[in-house]
Amino acid sequence: MKTKILFLFGMLCATPLLGQNDLLTMLNQEDAKKITYTQATFKGSRFINGQTVETIAKKHINFWISHRFGALNSGFMDNFLGLDEAKIRLGLEYGLSDVWLLGMGRSTIEKTYDFYSKYKVLKQSNQMPVTLTVYGSLATNTMPTGYSLPSGNIMRYENNLQRQTYMGQILIARKFTDKLSLQIMPTVLHNNKVESIYFDNDLYSLGFGGRYKLTNRLSLSAEYYKNIVDTENFLKTSGTAYPYQDSFSIGFDIETGGHVFQLHFTNSKGMIEKHFISQTTGTWANTDIFYGFNLARTFSLEPDKKNKK
Amino acid sequence: MRHLIVVFSLIILGFQANGQLYMAQNGEVSFFSKTPLEDIDALNKQVGSIINADNNEVAVQMRVTNFVFPNKLMQEHFNENYLESDKFPSATFKGKIREVIDLKVPGTYAVTAVGTATIHGITNPIEIKGTIVSKGDQVSLACQFDIKLVDYKIDIPRIVFAKIAEVIRVSSKINYVKK
Repeated sequence: MKTKILFLFGMLCATPLLGQNDLLTMLNQEDAKKITYTQATFKGSRFINGQTVETIAKKHINFWISHRFGALNSGFMDNFLGLDEAKIRLGLEYGLSDVWLLGMGRSTIEKTYDFYSKYKVLKQSNQMPVTLTVYGSLATNTMPTGYSLPSGNIMRYENNLQRQTYMGQILIARKFTDKLSLQIMPTVLHNNKVESIYFDNDLYSLGFGGRYKLTNRLSLSAEYYKNIVDTENFLKTSGTAYPYQDSFSIGFDIETGGHVFQLHFTNSKGMIEKHFISQTTGTWANTDIFYGFNLARTFSLEPDKKNKK
Repeated sequence: MRHLIVVFSLIILGFQANGQLYMAQNGEVSFFSKTPLEDIDALNKQVGSIINADNNEVAVQMRVTNFVFPNKLMQEHFNENYLESDKFPSATFKGKIREVIDLKVPGTYAVTAVGTATIHGITNPIEIKGTIVSKGDQVSLACQFDIKLVDYKIDIPRIVFAKIAEVIRVSSKINYVKK
């Protein structure tokens, strides 16, 4: 019996090798053993306000121009549905390597400079279910001291250290199909100085984001940040309602060679984490939302190979 | 014991029958598109290929995502918009060398491979002229041919039409080792 099985085993070993009919099948079997990485989980390095797991290629520069107009409910005659005013953020990103980028920007809101870095730790492949990127940023507020916030509080700074806000995020994303990609982002944000004694210096938030490709060049994207704040306790101790909302944004990404246009509606006026996660005042229920767009232009600093030859 | 010998000889027989295969894992395929506005080139260094020296059949397989462009945005557009590499991950060629040659004999051969190419999920008949240099246990192949984008239903939007040539020149250099 045992020898018969062995004989059969020998036959089995011999047959596939004897029958070399389909060379392509052999090549495909070889190919399946290699690691293949998932490409382009998202179109851009940011969803709408927040970041995606994507970094930019080595020696490439991304120039971001972001606009948020005024609130849609601010009136037609008074404010042309918000289009009379705009908040701007200008940003630059540079790819140190294919997985590591450095960036900086300047926002109109609170005259804030931001500096950040993103590093792709894990890449989704046929052997790895998700892409994981770590992201950290520093925001520096350069407003004159003693300005009033939308919440009504007055912000006073005694020194420059109090003007800093730190933020750390872990971005975990998976491209489920060629159309659908989803991401979650646990976030911690630390303000060196908060606007009143009732606020915590640390804010924890859990973000969710996703995109669905409608066509090759058009996709729908959305992101939501759930802030972990005890609003009841805030009301009890301070006597006023917690002034800030969770951020929700939805929009379209339109890609034309070399540019990404992002058109969206969001209840956040700010375009960096400090502003859109911790200081969102608009609510979707009151149509207190803002129309906005981001425009990204990519430049390659990689020398042209043909010129070298 | 005797049975074991039979089994082993069968396995060995299997391997021996394989002796006429030449295999390559790191072949190179590049393409070049030239228009007055923009030159585009890309290189794939992970091309797999097999030649069966018994019947001179050839197969070539590559992953579309392994083409490297100097401009990464161009690479993304190539995969996402033009070749749709999520839907059609690989490009292949399958065919036969028309000339009667024996690759096991060292020498230089001008060859014509006749077969089918599959790109972007579309299969078309193709004839590729090239040169094979054989050293007996190692074989190298070099060839050049043109691909018409229309034949493979690769759509170029009108606004970028002027930047991408309608006919793409493909070059290939593959070094095989006898298996």
